[in-house]
Amino acid sequence: MKDNAENIIEVKSVKKIYRMGKERICAVDDVSFTIKRGEFCCLYGVSGSGKSTLLNLMAGIEKLSSGQIIIKGKNIHKMGEKGLAKFRQNNLGFVFQSYNLLNSMTALENVELPLIFKHVRAKKRKKMAKDMLVKVGLGPRLKHRPKEMSGGQQQRVGIARAFVSNPEIVFADEPTGNLDSKTSKEVMDLIKEMAKVNHLTIVMVTHDIRLTQYADKIIHIFDGKIEEIEVVKHDEPSEEQETPENNGNQDYLESDENGENEGAEKDVGAGELIPEVS
Amino acid sequence: MRISDLFKMGIRNLSRRKARTILTVLGVVIGSLSIIIMRSIGYGMENNFDTQIMQQGGLTTITVNTYGEIYDDNGNWMGSKEQVLDDNLVEQINQIDHVRAVSPMMRMDITLLSGKYQGWGDITAMDMDVFEAFDFPALTFGEYPTEEDNSTIIFGSNVPYEFYDPTSRFYTPKVIDVQKDKLALKFNRFQADPKKREFNLPLKNIAKMEQTNGEFDHQTYMDIEYFKKIYLKYCNTLALSDRKEAVKQIQNYQSIKLNVDHINNVIEVQDKIKELGFQSYSQMQYLQPLKEASNTLQMVLGALGFIAMLVSAISIANTMVMSIYERTKEIGIMKVLGCVIKDIRKLFLFEAGMIGLFGGFIGISLGYLSSWLINKFGQPLFGALMSGNYMYDMTNTKFSIIPIYLPLASLAISIAVGLLSGYFPARRATKISAIEAMKTEG
Repeated sequence: MKDNAENIIEVKSVKKIYRMGKERICAVDDVSFTIKRGEFCCLYGVSGSGKSTLLNLMAGIEKLSSGQIIIKGKNIHKMGEKGLAKFRQNNLGFVFQSYNLLNSMTALENVELPLIFKHVRAKKRKKMAKDMLVKVGLGPRLKHRPKEMSGGQQQRVGIARAFVSNPEIVFADEPTGNLDSKTSKEVMDLIKEMAKVNHLTIVMVTHDIRLTQYADKIIHIFDGKIEEIEVVKHDEPSEEQETPENNGNQDYLESDENGENEGAEKDVGAGELIPEVS
Repeated sequence: MRISDLFKMGIRNLSRRKARTILTVLGVVIGSLSIIIMRSIGYGMENNFDTQIMQQGGLTTITVNTYGEIYDDNGNWMGSKEQVLDDNLVEQINQIDHVRAVSPMMRMDITLLSGKYQGWGDITAMDMDVFEAFDFPALTFGEYPTEEDNSTIIFGSNVPYEFYDPTSRFYTPKVIDVQKDKLALKFNRFQADPKKREFNLPLKNIAKMEQTNGEFDHQTYMDIEYFKKIYLKYCNTLALSDRKEAVKQIQNYQSIKLNVDHINNVIEVQDKIKELGFQSYSQMQYLQPLKEASNTLQMVLGALGFIAMLVSAISIANTMVMSIYERTKEIGIMKVLGCVIKDIRKLFLFEAGMIGLFGGFIGISLGYLSSWLINKFGQPLFGALMSGNYMYDMTNTKFSIIPIYLPLASLAISIAVGLLSGYFPARRATKISAIEAMKTEG
């Protein structure tokens, strides 16, 4: 195995059980998979399937009921609050469906925020945040507050914030959930572009089948279980093809239930993806 | 987070909700202001009290008189009794704790003669060893009696101004220069035996005290041993019938004076003397009830200030709790973005502390202002309030005095109140689950 093909995230038989009064709800039920460095992984499923919970577990925001999640060789569910916070500062970025920007701060200050927690000096941090905002195409809107920007612009700020501290993994929870399809495409292209340039690992949660076209690996989740792991083989990266990914290919043929959701997944195959933006 | 970032963010959060911040700060202002005003008035009273009684002097002095006055518990005079004061008693009193110095004391009327002028006076004879302990003032000239020469007679600063010419029809005061003019001393009590030469002691060894504006100024002092010596000489010049009577005068002491190491111990020592079976007198015994009344008043004032501070503490806590509810989402986001819990707590504590600091600072400034106003315009009110207690020099009295520790203490209290009432909300803030927090509207 080569360096860049190593597993950056390992999820081993992870369970998450919620107690609602006397009832126990198994949001994530014995899930195992791995994500490689530089991979664009998509957790795909209908709402309520447990995909967001899984993302939160991987990000260490929620605690596991059982199992193991290993990111960069570290058992994140064994870390303390402080260790986890430091780990997030240095390795993780987040993009949210509802942007989660601080309304009291300008775009620039919002992007600076993770750097503040990382103890980066004001001058350096301002420059980094500015550069990042320029990269996402918000150069002229540095001083605007979230309320003064469109959804797409806000999400760009969110993306800038996620990437500014140069993390290795970016978690995106329905990043286009609140956006129209045109903006969605722009935002997705931006994420993809940023990930590619910096060779980052992206874990994205979505219920929108059209977004899965951006992914290298699609994990179908239904009722807290993995239904199918689908690996999309692209032509350009040669390393990608070398790695054998047996599970995904085998499972692919059995994916019947996806038909209920949308009919588009049949297009997702071994070859190039055709954008489905209307 | 860096300190500077913490500072910036805290200030930003406070200024974001100006109205509420200002109202909370106002609460602290009122709290610290009332503490300062109450305490400064209390301190002013205490200070006046002390200066008043200091001016009277001799606060640590206890006197045991031959005729001891007896009072009941309510301070009503019950009568007096004759007590025998001798060297034995002096020694016993000397054994009591906190007694700094004891001296037997005798007083005798004298006439001072200088040429054709004369002055009345009385001489106070005390043990020369304790002069220092009784805080005798410095001398403008001459020296206090010593072992070698105890014949010094020490004049209070005003004594030489009280001479007059007895043959003149008018009373015209004459100032005697005790250093240059010849002086002699006569006892008045008994007529001299016509057959003997009248007792007349030329004074050679004279000292004069500096002005004290107190009890010393009109007195004349002498060592008790030397006094006895000259008194016996005087007795020898008397007719036989008078002589017995005269000698009897100095068999026992007229009074015993003692000095206690601290004002607070005076009453205790007096109780001990009572146990010995002797009535004693001190100024403290009259001042004690006044002091207690003043202490009670001060406690009441302090309690008022404290209540105001308590209210402002509750106000800060309320602000911080509300602030957490409002900022739940923000806290969640900060957590997910990698903000260490300690930093979140610090941020909230900083905000609460800043409210305390601002409030305390403004409170102190207003405190100085109102102290000035009270001293300038508060006379009618406070004059009426306090004049019942003791005589006041109304023109110069300060009703409110702010000692240097007061603003510092009040600032510290304000900040402490801020931190304390911000602590639990801050702890709550750190316990919010990031996921739940992010879902809330905000």
